[in-house]
Amino acid sequence: MYEAWNQFKSWYRVLPKLAAAVLAVFGLIVVFADFIAPYDPGTQSRNEPNAPAASLHFRHDGELRFLSPYVHPLKLADPLERRYEEDTTRKFSLGFFVDGEPYRFIGLIPMQTRLFGVRVADDGAPRVNLLGTDSLGRDRFSRLLFAIRFSLIVCPPGVLMAWLIGLTVGTVSGYSGRWPDTVLMGIADTMLALPTLILILTARAAFPLDLPPTRAAILLVLIFSLTGWAEVARLARGLVLSLKEREFVLAARATGLTEARILVRHILPNAMPTLLTQASVMLPYFLLAEVALSFLGVGVQEPQPSLGNMLAAAADVNRLSREPLLVLAPGLVIFIFVAAVRMAGPSRNGSTPPIR
Amino acid sequence: MIFAVSAIAFGLLSTAGGDALTTLRDNPQVSPKTVERLKLVYGLDRPLPVRYFSWLGRAVSGDLGESFAYRAPVGALVLSRLANTAAIGTVALLIALLVSIFLGYLVTRYPSGLLDAGAELTVLITASTPRIVLSLIALFVIVSVSGTSGSMFIVPVSSIVLSFPLVAIFLTQMNSELGQAMRLNFVQLARAKGLSERKVIMSHAFREAVNPLISILGVSLGGVAGGSVVVETVLGWPGIGALMVAAVRGRDVSLVMGIVVIASGAVWLGNTIAEMLQLFNDRRVLDAEIRPD
Repeated sequence: MYEAWNQFKSWYRVLPKLAAAVLAVFGLIVVFADFIAPYDPGTQSRNEPNAPAASLHFRHDGELRFLSPYVHPLKLADPLERRYEEDTTRKFSLGFFVDGEPYRFIGLIPMQTRLFGVRVADDGAPRVNLLGTDSLGRDRFSRLLFAIRFSLIVCPPGVLMAWLIGLTVGTVSGYSGRWPDTVLMGIADTMLALPTLILILTARAAFPLDLPPTRAAILLVLIFSLTGWAEVARLARGLVLSLKEREFVLAARATGLTEARILVRHILPNAMPTLLTQASVMLPYFLLAEVALSFLGVGVQEPQPSLGNMLAAAADVNRLSREPLLVLAPGLVIFIFVAAVRMAGPSRNGSTPPIR
Repeated sequence: MIFAVSAIAFGLLSTAGGDALTTLRDNPQVSPKTVERLKLVYGLDRPLPVRYFSWLGRAVSGDLGESFAYRAPVGALVLSRLANTAAIGTVALLIALLVSIFLGYLVTRYPSGLLDAGAELTVLITASTPRIVLSLIALFVIVSVSGTSGSMFIVPVSSIVLSFPLVAIFLTQMNSELGQAMRLNFVQLARAKGLSERKVIMSHAFREAVNPLISILGVSLGGVAGGSVVVETVLGWPGIGALMVAAVRGRDVSLVMGIVVIASGAVWLGNTIAEMLQLFNDRRVLDAEIRPD
């Protein structure tokens, strides 16, 4: 028992590093999504809608060879029930660095090589859908990668804006004191107490519902930053309030520095570590807000894949009960990302409140 | 505060993007003339401040207008849905409180690394599972157990889903507060008197820890109202969150306004009650507010 406990403890200490590794993988996905994804997220193969996840086979004539997997093509056995069967007479072997649909690497260099795929690229070759296909026959795995990229590109600017607004408001409030403090913190407290998601939805309702993905994303970023700054403002104010009474500030003032210089060069650098931690805590919160809105159909819309609108497929009871793991995959990704951010950050001692 | 929120929301909703008439305007079978006439009927031709103050004037007297989509008075509609949300919200708060108080008690009563790690893991899991995913999993469970999505399980399941992230907030708070309270003098005294450890924690330390808990409870009401949007939409519970989604999708401006105002008001009321409860629980706060010295 004691032995097991010790092992658990050492495992527990590794968690932050593990979380950092997971976040690094997310970073790789953001940069290399079109290389890792075997197909373009928009390509539809209309003859296999709602296909199950491809099953990889490793058994060659009774012998297991894990380095050379192959797949059988699928054929629709029952169009009414959308049941697929494998055509075991034909084999297609998979490989790394195979040629697939052309794309632009990081949006610049034209390339054809994909991380993995079916080796033979003739017309009869099946597609490998690791997570199956959606109702339009698009590869769900590829879409998931692009959804991760999209959501993770959209959220940081929102966090940055909210953080900057909060920093400005909080610093002004804490440093000037008196009536600006009362007014600004009154507004911040009001923002904190209001039902945020309902406010976000209200703001969203003011704009047309079917915006193109980029404009929708910009709109979401703006809305999130205007509703999410209050917590940073509170934190920044508290830090500035306590720092401005410290001796080094007094010393700076005694040497005749201007107030602005004291604030920017002496107080803010000391407040930065805590404020940056807060920024990392806000990232999952913004991600979840984007997911919620896209899920409800008022955020980023099809055909642009986003974690939220992919998850919307799971709200369909039929699909949810038939292939729960496949449609909930985006949810698992969200969980892993949020948990990784929480564990990697230095906020595990319970000093920062968890995400609402 | 609610005035400010309603003014901003009203301004946003009326200026930027079209109203319930936008869909009519896009409809080729409806002539522009009809749209103009409807505009007159609903008073949409008047300048914005005039419209806002006439809305405000009627809102103060309890008339929030009529919903375009539901053809029903907004006030009554929103209040009846708010009652549904309040039902699952209250149960959710109770569940979260019970779970976190119990776990917090265990962690304080039997200090051991294993329990600490367990509590921390609970916080991690409950805080990292988005309500959307949780409610989808719940939907899956309901469907596979009962075969249909509408069933009697919806109330308890919605409450549990709604309570999940709250457990994380409350438990974090509970652990740190109880830990601090256990070091206070009067708690040490209670222990020195020979009281049982359970009594020391539950009647003395807990009393000290409960005030921050109440204040965080008040703050999390907004989270419950926001969380209800997703949970109710997925699980099909006719509460204020599901109504909000329908209103936004249908561009039902007066309904959106009504929901924002009433939901904000309800959350504000909850916060005020939480503050009063704190005064009631801890006379020192009351004294400090009366005689600030």
